[in-house]
Amino acid sequence: MTAVQLKGVRKDFGGFTAISNIDLDIRSGELVALLGPSGCGKTTTLRMIAGLEVPSDGQILFDGKDVSEVAVQKRNVGMVFQRYALFPHMTVEKNVAFGLKVRGTDKAEIEQRLEDILDVVQLQQFRHRFPAQLSGGQMQRVAIARTLITNPSVLMMDEPLANLDTKLRGEMRRFIRDLQQRLGITTIFVTHDQIEAMELADRVAVIFDGKLAQYDAPDALYKRPGSIDIADFMGATNVFEAMIRGKTATAPFGSLAFATDATDGPAHVMLRGEAIDLHLAEPPETQNQIRGRVSAREFFGANITYTVACGDAQIQVIEQSRRMVDLDQEVWLTIPPDRIWIIQN
Amino acid sequence: MARKSASIALNERLSPYQKLYLLLIAGFILGPFIPLIIQSFAFRWAWPDLLPGTWWLEQRERAVLPLAWDYVISPYSQVWEATLNTVFIGCVVTVICLFICLPAARVLARESFKGKPAFEFFLSMPLIVPEAAIGIALLMIFINIGLAGTYTGIIIVHLIPTIPYMIRMLTAVYQGLGRDFEEQAMILGASRWQILRMVTMPMLLPGIVAGALFTFLVSTNIFLLTFFMGQGKIVTLPTLLFSKISGGTLDASAAGITLVVTVPGIILLLITERFIKEEAFGKGFGN
Ligand SMILES: Nc1ncnc2c1ncn2[C@@H]1O[C@H](COP(=O)(O)OP(=O)(O)O)[C@@H](O)[C@H]1O
Ligand SMILES: [Mg+2]
Repeated sequence: MTAVQLKGVRKDFGGFTAISNIDLDIRSGELVALLGPSGCGKTTTLRMIAGLEVPSDGQILFDGKDVSEVAVQKRNVGMVFQRYALFPHMTVEKNVAFGLKVRGTDKAEIEQRLEDILDVVQLQQFRHRFPAQLSGGQMQRVAIARTLITNPSVLMMDEPLANLDTKLRGEMRRFIRDLQQRLGITTIFVTHDQIEAMELADRVAVIFDGKLAQYDAPDALYKRPGSIDIADFMGATNVFEAMIRGKTATAPFGSLAFATDATDGPAHVMLRGEAIDLHLAEPPETQNQIRGRVSAREFFGANITYTVACGDAQIQVIEQSRRMVDLDQEVWLTIPPDRIWIIQN
Repeated sequence: MARKSASIALNERLSPYQKLYLLLIAGFILGPFIPLIIQSFAFRWAWPDLLPGTWWLEQRERAVLPLAWDYVISPYSQVWEATLNTVFIGCVVTVICLFICLPAARVLARESFKGKPAFEFFLSMPLIVPEAAIGIALLMIFINIGLAGTYTGIIIVHLIPTIPYMIRMLTAVYQGLGRDFEEQAMILGASRWQILRMVTMPMLLPGIVAGALFTFLVSTNIFLLTFFMGQGKIVTLPTLLFSKISGGTLDASAAGITLVVTVPGIILLLITERFIKEEAFGKGFGN
């Protein structure tokens, strides 16, 4: 397998800078998600790795070797386009075999590998159909099969799940992860959905405005976002301004003790809703205790989100739906110090 | 089968007025050919008779074939030579035109560069400037460099009015074909030539066929430029026809030649009909 490295990569389109500076280290066999809002430069990054765009500056290395001089055809990468780009005038079979045919692989071997890959993506009974006669999920599997049959050393997928309906999305998510684990192929996929990124990826690269904002394992990214924007993008709701002194953060609703390292001064304190305990009577422990009143309640089936008014601040608490707390009920919130995260600057 | 049911459907959908309208249009297009056909089978058709006074059939012992057709088939008429010339020139012009216009259309459809609008305007110049002006200007040059009266000379002048049409049609088709397909093919390892042959060409085929057909028809119909450049040494169907009728007589043989002139276009249309999807034409002309 192949390790991919981006070193100070920049990309300008005319006077417009799409990627200002990205350093990214992708280990061999790793599944990495590029996560960011639409227009932040995810597709451009993939296209540079594939060789479809030339970086304006910086280097792209495969296994430590600079590939800037290597033609697209010789990079041996695979890319599944956002809209699949299946050749409309070819059947499923011809589409899938395309990569081998242009390499001049002999007929018997093409036949063999075609059978194998069609089994893997479960498309045997559709092999004689044209793309226009397939559903979205089937088209996607054709696109993946067409790419995998060439044994690429890096597999890239641009928003592979964006065009599928919810149920199919879950199915394809499992399919992609199983496939990736089975083949152990270095995979980079693009998404703007943080849930998708966290579920699938070994590591997530968050890109904002053409810059790498944070590159971390999913749980680290979720629990310890590096900035308010990242916290916001990762779905954090309880972020409050606070003053740090030692191991205490003073927020509008009271003082909280925390465990992580922080320097003194103004900062933001982040409380993950599912880490907060909600009590109906005053709890014995007094550390990190916040008193408030339930002001809203949202029911999501398995979970309930309560909004608790604590002075001027609104704190959201997520709880499994084992009970229903009434609106306007007086409650006490507690949060363990090691579940509090401080975002500085 | 499909065509039959389509025509039935059409019949059911049309009101009597619409049918009458269609009939009038058909009459307008086909009407002029009726006297030609009659003329070509006449033995003598003198003014002011509505129909020929003597038909060829009544004079069978004097002429084995209708007079017109007898003449048309004979080597004196040069019809056979002119037909070969016309088809040959048309084919070469079409192929060269495609080779020039495919890359040009690709750039025009996908890239934006400084001076592109001006370039596009220049492309339509040959359609605006009178043919005679171009013809005379070029003739002076071609006589000097010895291209007048040669096939090369005629083919070059035929490219002048056909290239703008072809580029316009192909640009429209290219605009409909995203880059994704070619980029995907490239990533899958295809060389430029393989991409052109296996991806681009098949996907552009309807547009290419429409453009080629159109170019061929335009080329086979160009009179003035051919007349100037041919210098009487190379006859094509339009120049032959013109020399035939320029004397002012519209006799049976002229009628015969006129009918022959329309044949290549009709045959070509029938051959290529199955390639041409409405969209290809629609796109081509819509832009
Ligand atoms: N070929 C191009 N020419 C000019 N601007 C481009 C080109 N490709 C992308 N961009 C711009 O670069 C930015 C990043 O695009 P892209 O990588 O497609 O974003 P994403 O995939 O994250 O939605 C966008 O603002 C886009 O408009
Ligand atoms: Mg994109």
